[in-house]
Amino acid sequence: MINYIFDGTFDGLMTVVYESYYSHQHPNDIFSEVNHQINFLGHGVFVATDIDKSDKVQNAITTKISKEALRNIYYVYLSELESSYMLIYKYVRLGFKIGKKIDYFIQNDVVHEVTKLSQRVKHEAYKMIELIRFKEVKKGLFIAKIHPDYNVLPIIMPHFAERFQDQYFIIHDEKRNLSAVYDKKAWIIIDMPLENISNMKDTEDYEILWKMYHKSISIEERKNLRLQRQHMPKKYWDMLTEKQ
Amino acid sequence: MDLLEKIRILADAAKYDVSCSSSGSDRENKNGGIGNAAFYGICHSWSEDGRCISLLKILFTNICIYDCSYCVNRCSNDVERAIFTPDELADITINFYRRNYIEGLFLSSAVYKSPDYTMELLIKTVKKLREEYNFNGYIHLKAIPGADVNLIRLAGLYADRMSVNIELPSEKSLKLLAPQKTKESIIKPMSFIHSQLLEKSESKKLMRHTDKFVPAGQTTQLIIGATPESDRTILKLSENLYKYYDLKRVYYSAYIPVFNGNNLLGVSSPPLLREHRLYQADWLLRYYNFKADELLTEEEPNFDVSLDPKINWAMKNLNLFPVEVNTADYNMLLRVPGIGLRTAKRIVKARKAANLNYDSLKKLGVVLKRAKYFITCNGKYYGECEMEKDKIKNKLTTNKNRILDGQLSIFDINNKFKNLPIIV
Ligand code: SF4
Repeated sequence: MINYIFDGTFDGLMTVVYESYYSHQHPNDIFSEVNHQINFLGHGVFVATDIDKSDKVQNAITTKISKEALRNIYYVYLSELESSYMLIYKYVRLGFKIGKKIDYFIQNDVVHEVTKLSQRVKHEAYKMIELIRFKEVKKGLFIAKIHPDYNVLPIIMPHFAERFQDQYFIIHDEKRNLSAVYDKKAWIIIDMPLENISNMKDTEDYEILWKMYHKSISIEERKNLRLQRQHMPKKYWDMLTEKQ
Repeated sequence: MDLLEKIRILADAAKYDVSCSSSGSDRENKNGGIGNAAFYGICHSWSEDGRCISLLKILFTNICIYDCSYCVNRCSNDVERAIFTPDELADITINFYRRNYIEGLFLSSAVYKSPDYTMELLIKTVKKLREEYNFNGYIHLKAIPGADVNLIRLAGLYADRMSVNIELPSEKSLKLLAPQKTKESIIKPMSFIHSQLLEKSESKKLMRHTDKFVPAGQTTQLIIGATPESDRTILKLSENLYKYYDLKRVYYSAYIPVFNGNNLLGVSSPPLLREHRLYQADWLLRYYNFKADELLTEEEPNFDVSLDPKINWAMKNLNLFPVEVNTADYNMLLRVPGIGLRTAKRIVKARKAANLNYDSLKKLGVVLKRAKYFITCNGKYYGECEMEKDKIKNKLTTNKNRILDGQLSIFDINNKFKNLPIIV
């Protein structure tokens, strides 16, 4: 039993899975060097990310378990919870043993945890798809700021890139200081603070129109603020034009 | 008049139309244009009444030549009036869409000058969106009762969904409250849309490319409580609309008495709970394989509003219960109060891997508060009382206020799959 340390990327984590399988060394724990000042004197083995090995593991997951399983794993990884790495490792092990049927084992603790966590990440990604608000900061350039609990940018970008094919846009994750940038052809996620690009203070005319619309469409006799909050959690209100 | 004023007046005038769904179409973005339609629909905001806002739901105008007595916009009512131009409305739609406020447009209108004239204005707006802006987001268009079928055909080529509101559940009520509309003027466009849909799906088999005609189908709306029809009459009507016109949804709208007018039937507050029960019953028709006749009878044509329709049904059919969760077939599981579509599926899946006990049910996320009175788990019954109607009812309604409140708060308007288990 040893501790594995990797660079924090998904490919890195998959490489850890590969190495542990081929060296027959079960991990005691898995750490990301990004999250941890690891004590290298301890029993830690650093695993360098290897795309080929990662691809092999991902392929094996898709064929031996299922596509769904790979997606679950990826979502759990994006939760950024420290415990998620070991959880993923255990899930993959179990999956290699019992195969596609793993989805039926909802009663198993590992499967249960993975399902729950991946649902939570998926749920937040979905909330972002609903609640992101763009602002036109320069003619033709739209910017949105978010601060999700989980690292959902990679999940939501395909949706927006497909939808807003004809506009330049940036979605900026303030919490992680990541910017997803789309240039009408493709998108990438980069480490980038937003300050240089824009100050977003001015209120646009369309924001005023939207606020008016939002107010006007509500039926007074049916007022139900609790229900509104249930769908639009307060923690996201600062993103929402209509709530400012 | 500036745009802000127009939006204030015409959103306000559209708010009683309850349909808001943006689902059922998977129109793709093409040629680098803007927008696509997500099949399951996406909500982008919730108004203060808790209803989801998915589309820019607005009237083209509220200037009306008709005088339907249930309607705020009737010509004899003294309200502020406004009208958009197609350019203005197309511009607002695109700019709201680009900011991710909306999934698209739900354009309805009062009858301005004539049904045909109004229909043409709506068509101009959506034509601009589709052809000039290359907009591929969702569009729901109201077919104006009485408009020429050729206009309706044209409109259907631009829209994802169309609806003709029936509003009143019987011809008699229609005559009484909306004398300028006839049953014919409502049914004709509806059956026309239906026949176009059939035709397109036939020709689709022959050719690869046919123009899409309202790919998300058609819906309608009924006003509840302005007229004396029973729940049974209403539910039977819906059942037939699903069966014969293949409607995607029937929406129910509790009648909200409008001011400045004769208060019909002395309705003082909107029958929200009744509306909610009808929605629940409607779900049972569409997703749980219930028949209207199973839910309501001639002797008891109205729902007991204190219980949801599924519990109501279960109470009347206690002889079918309890069911064993480890062996009952999927359809029977669906009929257990407290078990919704998703949980039923999970149960069927999980019991393939292992026998289910009471704890594993909890783990599966089965809400046992109600279900426990109607199931056994490995032969054991967990309801805290005997299986008798009054005792169960008593148990289920002791914290009645809380239950009612909770149920009202989840009334279904956003038609999204993740919100499916409304009736549990
Ligand atoms: S035609 Fe429509 S807008 Fe005009 S009064 Fe009747 S319901 Fe209202």
